[in-house]
Amino acid sequence: MNMITEYITFLKERYPDILARTGEHLIIVGSAVILGCIVAISTAIILTRFKDGFASSLSFGLANIFQTIPSIALLAMLIPLLGVGRNPAILALFLYSLLPLLRNTYSGIKEVDSNIIEAARGMGYSSFQRLWKIELPLARPYILSGIRLTTVYIISWTTLAAIVGAGGLGDLIIAGMANNNNFLIFTGTVSAIILALAADLILGFISKDRTIKE
Amino acid sequence: MQKASRLMLAVSFVSIFLLSACNPKEDTINIGAATYTETKIMAAVYKELIEDRTDIQVDITPDLLSTSLILKALDRGDLDMSLMYSGMIYNNFFPVKTTTDREEVLSQAKKGFNKYYDMKWFDPLGFENTYALTVREDLAKQRGLEKISDLKKSEENMKFGVDSSWMERPTDGYPAFKKAYGVTFKRTYPMDVNLVYEAAASKKMDVVLAYSTDPRLLQYNLKTLKDDRKFFPPYDASILARNDTLKKHPELTEILNTLTGKIDEKTMTSLNYQVDIEHRSERDVAREYLVQQGLLDDKEES
Repeated sequence: MNMITEYITFLKERYPDILARTGEHLIIVGSAVILGCIVAISTAIILTRFKDGFASSLSFGLANIFQTIPSIALLAMLIPLLGVGRNPAILALFLYSLLPLLRNTYSGIKEVDSNIIEAARGMGYSSFQRLWKIELPLARPYILSGIRLTTVYIISWTTLAAIVGAGGLGDLIIAGMANNNNFLIFTGTVSAIILALAADLILGFISKDRTIKE
Repeated sequence: MQKASRLMLAVSFVSIFLLSACNPKEDTINIGAATYTETKIMAAVYKELIEDRTDIQVDITPDLLSTSLILKALDRGDLDMSLMYSGMIYNNFFPVKTTTDREEVLSQAKKGFNKYYDMKWFDPLGFENTYALTVREDLAKQRGLEKISDLKKSEENMKFGVDSSWMERPTDGYPAFKKAYGVTFKRTYPMDVNLVYEAAASKKMDVVLAYSTDPRLLQYNLKTLKDDRKFFPPYDASILARNDTLKKHPELTEILNTLTGKIDEKTMTSLNYQVDIEHRSERDVAREYLVQQGLLDDKEES
């Protein structure tokens, strides 16, 4: 009981900090995922236009390699390039976001029934119209589930960004570990979990909502 | 084929025998070290000393993130000893009186760790690794910075890179610092302490909080500002060891006392320099130091 009141006092005292760290966390996650979406989704669309598989296996291979670099190593490699702070963290997380986004978008578009495409072509749809009116809407659930998955794990990985001076909820966890302060560790962890769950819920809601209407 | 497989069998038997011969529970002690070089060098120094003078085998567990993590591992018995700094008593481990008096901090460390953790805090080795507020030499000249209170004029547009663990320190962390000096920086960037030196040198940060014995202060030509209000407590380096380990191996106490008062800041910085800047291994640097001191025979063990 005593611990709970202590924790409440701690929260009262520290909530501006906690909010600030949460804000930083969201900025890092948001920038990484949005950048990832722009690059990965457009790349995936271009890849589906190629007949032979060389370009796509090359891109997937590359994205796969980024995925396999241990996150600490990736951050360490980016420091000489971008220094410390938010930028190396965003770039690292952006690289991690590529593979799932690329893969989901690509297979979503590829999964579209070729008969439908053929019918559209017969009706005189241009390539762009086919993409915009048929392929993308049909691939939407795949793409959205890719974004959802990516956002959730990027939220948890962003805690690592604290070691390169990017801020975020990881700051609370690392400072808590260093100072024997379990409240800080607990707050950092729980906030990251809540963010991840909320993102999952919101993105899940968006993807469901649209598919029912269509 | 036959021969090869028989050989393999023999090799595996021998290795199983060897593995079981060095029983880890009986004669092994484990030294913990933090993420920065100095603690690793000192761990290597003690490993060489102990293995040279006893039959005990010494393992080193490096790169532990923080002193409180090391202390937890010591408390559980995962580690037997580690290098510690007297000022770390202000880390919420046990009740302490706030003071910056060297002797008083030391005696609180000795008493506290004995009473609350059943560990022995040895006499200091002779060097201090305290926090050092540093700036680039050119910035110091340009703004006339000599001591920390000089920052008062220009801190509002300064970026401050710090060790993540320092931000939350209850008595000598950032909140207390702001109060003591009346200095609040434009923004703080907590990060791994090993990154602050280059961050300052490459102008990503204007002011950084560094460790005073780190050779990168010399490498990057960083100027340490004088702690003119005596804000930081002393951080004298000592060995902290579990009492039950010392009881089990009574010969250890004497060995752990060999270096008491022998290593000054200059020596430590130069040892750090050899590892951090010249990229030599901690073990080589440790051995060479001990040989120079006449504490170890020159010949390499087989």
